[in-house]
Amino acid sequence: MAEVDPSKKVADRYLKREVLGEGTYGVVYKAIDTKTGQTVAIKKIRLGKQKEGVNFTALREIKLLKELKDPNIIELIDAFPHKGNLHLVFEFMETDLEAVIRDRNIFLSPADIKSFLQMTLKGLAYCHKKWVLHRDMKPNNLLIGPNGQLKLADFGLARIFGSPDRRFTHQVFARWYRAPELLFGTKQYGSGVDVWAAACIFAELLLRRPFLQGSSDIDQLGKIFAAFGTPTSSQWPDMVYLPDYVEYQYVPAPPLRSLFLMASDDALDLLSKMFTYDPKARISVQQALEHRYFSSAPLPTAPDKLPRPAPKRESKNSEFNPHEGPTVLSPPRKSRRVMPQPEGFEGNTHQLDKHDDRGGEIRLAAGENTSRNEPMPMSVDFSIFATKPPNRPTINSADRTHLKRKLDLEFQHPEESMR
Amino acid sequence: MAANFWTSSHYKQLLDQEEVDVVHPLDKEKGITLAEFKLLKMHMANYIWKLATHVKVRQRVVATAVTYMRRVYTRKSLSEYDPRHVAPTCLYLAAKAEESTVQARLLVFYVKKMPTDEKFRFEIKDVLEMEMKILEAINYYLVVFHPYRSLSQLLQDAALNDISMTQLTWGLVNDTYRMDLILVHPPHLIALACIYIASVLRDKDTTSWFEELRVDMNVVKNISIEILDFYENHRINMEERLNVAMAKLGSTIHNLEILQLTPTSY
Repeated sequence: MAEVDPSKKVADRYLKREVLGEGTYGVVYKAIDTKTGQTVAIKKIRLGKQKEGVNFTALREIKLLKELKDPNIIELIDAFPHKGNLHLVFEFMETDLEAVIRDRNIFLSPADIKSFLQMTLKGLAYCHKKWVLHRDMKPNNLLIGPNGQLKLADFGLARIFGSPDRRFTHQVFARWYRAPELLFGTKQYGSGVDVWAAACIFAELLLRRPFLQGSSDIDQLGKIFAAFGTPTSSQWPDMVYLPDYVEYQYVPAPPLRSLFLMASDDALDLLSKMFTYDPKARISVQQALEHRYFSSAPLPTAPDKLPRPAPKRESKNSEFNPHEGPTVLSPPRKSRRVMPQPEGFEGNTHQLDKHDDRGGEIRLAAGENTSRNEPMPMSVDFSIFATKPPNRPTINSADRTHLKRKLDLEFQHPEESMR
Repeated sequence: MAANFWTSSHYKQLLDQEEVDVVHPLDKEKGITLAEFKLLKMHMANYIWKLATHVKVRQRVVATAVTYMRRVYTRKSLSEYDPRHVAPTCLYLAAKAEESTVQARLLVFYVKKMPTDEKFRFEIKDVLEMEMKILEAINYYLVVFHPYRSLSQLLQDAALNDISMTQLTWGLVNDTYRMDLILVHPPHLIALACIYIASVLRDKDTTSWFEELRVDMNVVKNISIEILDFYENHRINMEERLNVAMAKLGSTIHNLEILQLTPTSY
């Protein structure tokens, strides 16, 4: 009975178009909202095999996005059940920041970079004002709309913070964007982790490649220290008390200027404040937005004037499928989210921190993530690993046929959409 | 949760008492009165509370579950949304939303252990089906604020945070979930009303402390009166009245123990 109305709704309200890709927890397709004429992206949320109902990550995303309404945050327009699956309707986004950064045909002026960073920080400031940590900031989660507006998306890892029991997992963020306190295993962290990630994105905009590309958690810290010098205890007094703290050989910091040859003094000053080791001393998002970098010339480019990947690849640069297409030179490793590196898990001694009954989530994960062969050792906050497949799937032609068979929706010629 | 209540969906969704006190036409047809509607919701809240003690979830999960249930019935009828499915599923959904998931399998196991009508069937698929329906009924708004957090802060601020006052007020707050207060009033005002009642009961002079707060004391007093009325009301013939209401509904929860309604019971 519950399905009669909503199914009409899909047919009546949303005109299905091509499949855009595979999201974190289900298929995403493009559609037209006949009510508003707006192009939208619909995520069909796969139900897990383990009979745990609505996917936990999806639920978390719904919960937070229903609270977050801001020009720099992806809008959850609607949600409805259809044929037993939950469907989420998002505003349609043309591309993402990763595609922009990787596109070698695009020249990013200092004003463009400033504009992208400012929009990123604005979205983040709104989250932090609402006590929400994003925890998965990376260029590929910063979507770009038809008018050039940048919006934060993918709140599947986000959490409300400031609760009395604020012990969280440190296994958040793709490694390259992970703050040093997370790499040292802290369980009590705050908005500083998002600032660090935003700084990595800032650096990536300047360099046009990921700045700190560690191949393991240990290596990630090594890369950080090589860039900014090994932190001293006067720089970061609490460091030595962190759970996974290990002493690193002292490396002096090279001048920041030598790493970012083209950056202005203001840019470097802001960057160094965002890359501050001690999370307590790290600049807040709000303070960053008030930094003179944003008020000094050149002023940020207006969003609609920002360069974007050529529109002919429209169907590629969808919100959920940014790795496709000939000009997106993103290496496959970039599709990783939280990587199940052994040292991140086995070295973890905080398995008992989570006293909640999390058993359900393990099942949930095993059920929904068919691409993984065996359940990962779930030592920490299961919700994180459980609900984020380590590999963000991309669609190749074999998958596409499979998907097409699986889907109960007819879509236009796949050749055209996947071109 | 320290998130900002005033910008939350919870705040925007607060209703007037008159909007909450509407018996759905379908239930009206069956002769359900407003008093019975309230009684049935209270009974469901009690049920959720009892189930939660078996499943072992945190207090705020229970509170969130009861809030979901109450929100569901501001829009949907008891006739169409079987309370026996809605109540446990609200707990299931709340546990997920509050990041302490309970397995559906486990929930069903405990539901079956609860004393209930023999003909009543409740399986995992019922939970999952109802979960989707509840999500729709509550319009996917999942974040709920509760009085507990403000309660401990306020008690501390008023220097009333001794064990006796804490227990009494905590119990009072728990009992407010047997009413619709969470749909109507901001949580911190509910907390204040509970402190007000407790301080009168225990002869604590809080007048000056209340005066210094920048809150409308009339609202706080009205909430307090509502709570006291509720206790008064439900001392008499509770079980009998509940059975009458359930008979009208036809297919609801039978043979369930009615919890004692004293301020400290939960």
